[in-house]
Amino acid sequence: MSRFKGLHLEPLWWGLFSAGGVCFAVFLPAVLLVFAVLAPLGVIHLNMNALATAAGSIWGLLFVGAVICLPAFHAAHRIRHGLHDLKLGGGLWSVVLCYGAAALISASALWGWLALTSWF
Amino acid sequence: MSEQRFVQVEVVRYLPENKTPEKDEPFSQFFEVPYTESTSILDALQYIKEELDSSLSFRWSCRMAICGSCGFMVNGTPKLGCKDFLRNYPNGVRIAPLAHFTVERDLMVNMEEFLVHLEAVQPFLVEEQQAKAQGVQKYTETYQQTPAQLAKYKQFSNCINCGLCYAACPQFGLNPEFIGPGALALAHRYNLDSRDHGKAQRMKVLNGHNGVWSCTFVGFCSDVCPKKVDPAAAVNQGKVESAKSMLIQMFKGNS
Ligand code: SF4
Ligand code: FES
Repeated sequence: MSRFKGLHLEPLWWGLFSAGGVCFAVFLPAVLLVFAVLAPLGVIHLNMNALATAAGSIWGLLFVGAVICLPAFHAAHRIRHGLHDLKLGGGLWSVVLCYGAAALISASALWGWLALTSWF
Repeated sequence: MSEQRFVQVEVVRYLPENKTPEKDEPFSQFFEVPYTESTSILDALQYIKEELDSSLSFRWSCRMAICGSCGFMVNGTPKLGCKDFLRNYPNGVRIAPLAHFTVERDLMVNMEEFLVHLEAVQPFLVEEQQAKAQGVQKYTETYQQTPAQLAKYKQFSNCINCGLCYAACPQFGLNPEFIGPGALALAHRYNLDSRDHGKAQRMKVLNGHNGVWSCTFVGFCSDVCPKKVDPAAAVNQGKVESAKSMLIQMFKGNS
């Protein structure tokens, strides 16, 4: 068992946090601009049929990963360390709560993608 | 010649001999200190000690930002007393002991709390030690290093062990067991040195919860560092190294 001595999961959470941070910075502003500003304002018109097809493809999966799952884990990590900074624990319950929520969000997003694919 | 002006200097003091069972607290003392363009915070303290109140205690030595002994909180920010000037505070200034450390007396804190962490990361070239263990008394050849090998760690080698980054780090404030920015930067400096062979031993310290992983990338340590060491960058490069080292350990076992 000595090969697992002193190991902990922090590098995993940090890895997801870093990847999520990149996605947050690179993809989310563009996504928000298109779907939350330009489309509702009628500046651009989205072809919903084409969008649904694209969402059901591998691109949809990448979208879910880069725009929902990884940013969710990024946010969870921030919130967990924020709780620690506010002296509100940092123990197991915050790990379960924060990453649990991120996992739940990711799982439902992936389920949504699966529901969109033709092979479902 | 620049004209002489006066500014109010508040010094936070603590005298352990005055402590009673009911009261054991620091108190503020106010002084009017004359200053010119070139009066440093350390000059002000020396003026106070020589002219106004000789009971004031503080540490200093080089007066040129190289010994690292004159760290204080100046208006709440960790600064070297000899590298910060009264002219920056025309409306008055408050000098207090470095945050997050135990105060021994007036502006002197217990630096031991930083030095234990420094010691833990073995901030020296480890090969010499190994050589001694093997019975080699002294290397007869000098170490050779290319400019490129030097450039890898040079930035991180400028640390003067002043402890300002510890006073700036909220994580060290919450958890005094945290190895902390300065020591982690030095660990990184030696890990990057082509002449060193101590990385495996250092990684054991860095990998733990109190090692690099206690850092939440606040980054204030790099802002206050008087030598531009950028400990925050060192710690976060250390996270990459630590993640690698833990992965390797998982697959290969402890080497
Ligand atoms: S890293 Fe900078 S602030 Fe920290 S101890 Fe070294 S010189 Fe001082
Ligand atoms: S007196 Fe040496 S660093 Fe200030």
